[in-house]
Amino acid sequence: MNIIVKSIIQVLMGTIGSFGFSILYNIRGKKLILAGLGGLFSWSLCLVLQIWFESEVIRYFLSAAFVAVYAEALARIMKTPTTTFLVPAIIPHVPGGSLYYTMKFALNQQWYDFFSRAFYTVELALALAMGIIAISSLVKFIFAVINKLKKKSA
Amino acid sequence: MDSSFLLSCALDIGEQMLISGAEIYRVEDCIKRICSSYGVKRIDVFTITSSIIATLEDNEHRNITQTRRISSYKTDLTKLDKLNQLSREMCTKKPDLEVVHEKIKAIKNSKRYPLWFECITYGAIAGAFTVFFGGSFADAGVSAIIGVVLRLIVYLNGISKVNQVFSSLLSSFAMCFLAFLCVNNGFGESIDNIVIGNIMLLIPGVGLTNSLRDLISGDIMAGVLRLCEVILIALSIAAGYILSALVIGGAGI
Repeated sequence: MNIIVKSIIQVLMGTIGSFGFSILYNIRGKKLILAGLGGLFSWSLCLVLQIWFESEVIRYFLSAAFVAVYAEALARIMKTPTTTFLVPAIIPHVPGGSLYYTMKFALNQQWYDFFSRAFYTVELALALAMGIIAISSLVKFIFAVINKLKKKSA
Repeated sequence: MDSSFLLSCALDIGEQMLISGAEIYRVEDCIKRICSSYGVKRIDVFTITSSIIATLEDNEHRNITQTRRISSYKTDLTKLDKLNQLSREMCTKKPDLEVVHEKIKAIKNSKRYPLWFECITYGAIAGAFTVFFGGSFADAGVSAIIGVVLRLIVYLNGISKVNQVFSSLLSSFAMCFLAFLCVNNGFGESIDNIVIGNIMLLIPGVGLTNSLRDLISGDIMAGVLRLCEVILIALSIAAGYILSALVIGGAGI
């Protein structure tokens, strides 16, 4: 199968996943659409980044950072908690596959593969965490400074 | 003004927020803001994942302490959004507490998507992620059916009120057991892709994200507690998978 067709199918499936989780978390109306589309954008970005970055860990970090920007911005526009957009958009990045193979290696007692997979799963999770933490802290910092300046000028 | 009733209302909102999936910072901030906007002298709140404690000192130097114990969560971001708006409204317009009390009750009973719709959603998610991780569309079909059954198992777990760790183990065991049965009897090709699609449904995504957000906000204790919970759940998912493989292998199906 052509790699582009494959990528498009994968993005579509990831988007269905994001929409699905948005429904399970009882998001409704306009927010449901925006939350689901977050998955579409973030996974497309993650695939496009493949052109420049070979490492999956770096791509996960960058697209998690993108998700955080998307969620923080929309949360302020829609006046709703950031979680609403953060969690659904990050869903396609959840390393479910990697976690599964870790379990499988444990079952088959392939301990060498088990440890390397387990570390890789943790690495991916940490990359996601760092992406989110970096942006969220930055946003907090910026808004704290802005509020301080506003108070001074008022 | 009835300070005790005010604190009770504020804590009710905080409690419902925590249950619906709010971060600790939001819960504490919301309780503090509500109380200060109604003119109390001092308010101290301490929140971890399973409990909220707040002490309020009013203008007549009375100290009132109330607590809430949270034993189960149900992520509901619409409810969280409504609670957030109610707390903002309380800070700006200061509505009568009786009115607030009624509103909290209404939000508590606000509707979710019906069970059959959640079943279909589970199926769609499981099928989609099976293809996402490289499975065939035939595998996706099997995965989707198991996803629907998985929702029913989760529902039964909810009724029996077993704890989160055990319920994850049970769900994971049943899901993997079904997947092994299907593949061994010629439905679906790859056990790996079918199980991966369904595992996505069990991984506690909100828990992990919130634990990170708690850690950034400086709520180290709550963040670590949540992280432990997430790791325990991940381990119990693994245990369920390994158990079901052993049972299938032992029975020689």
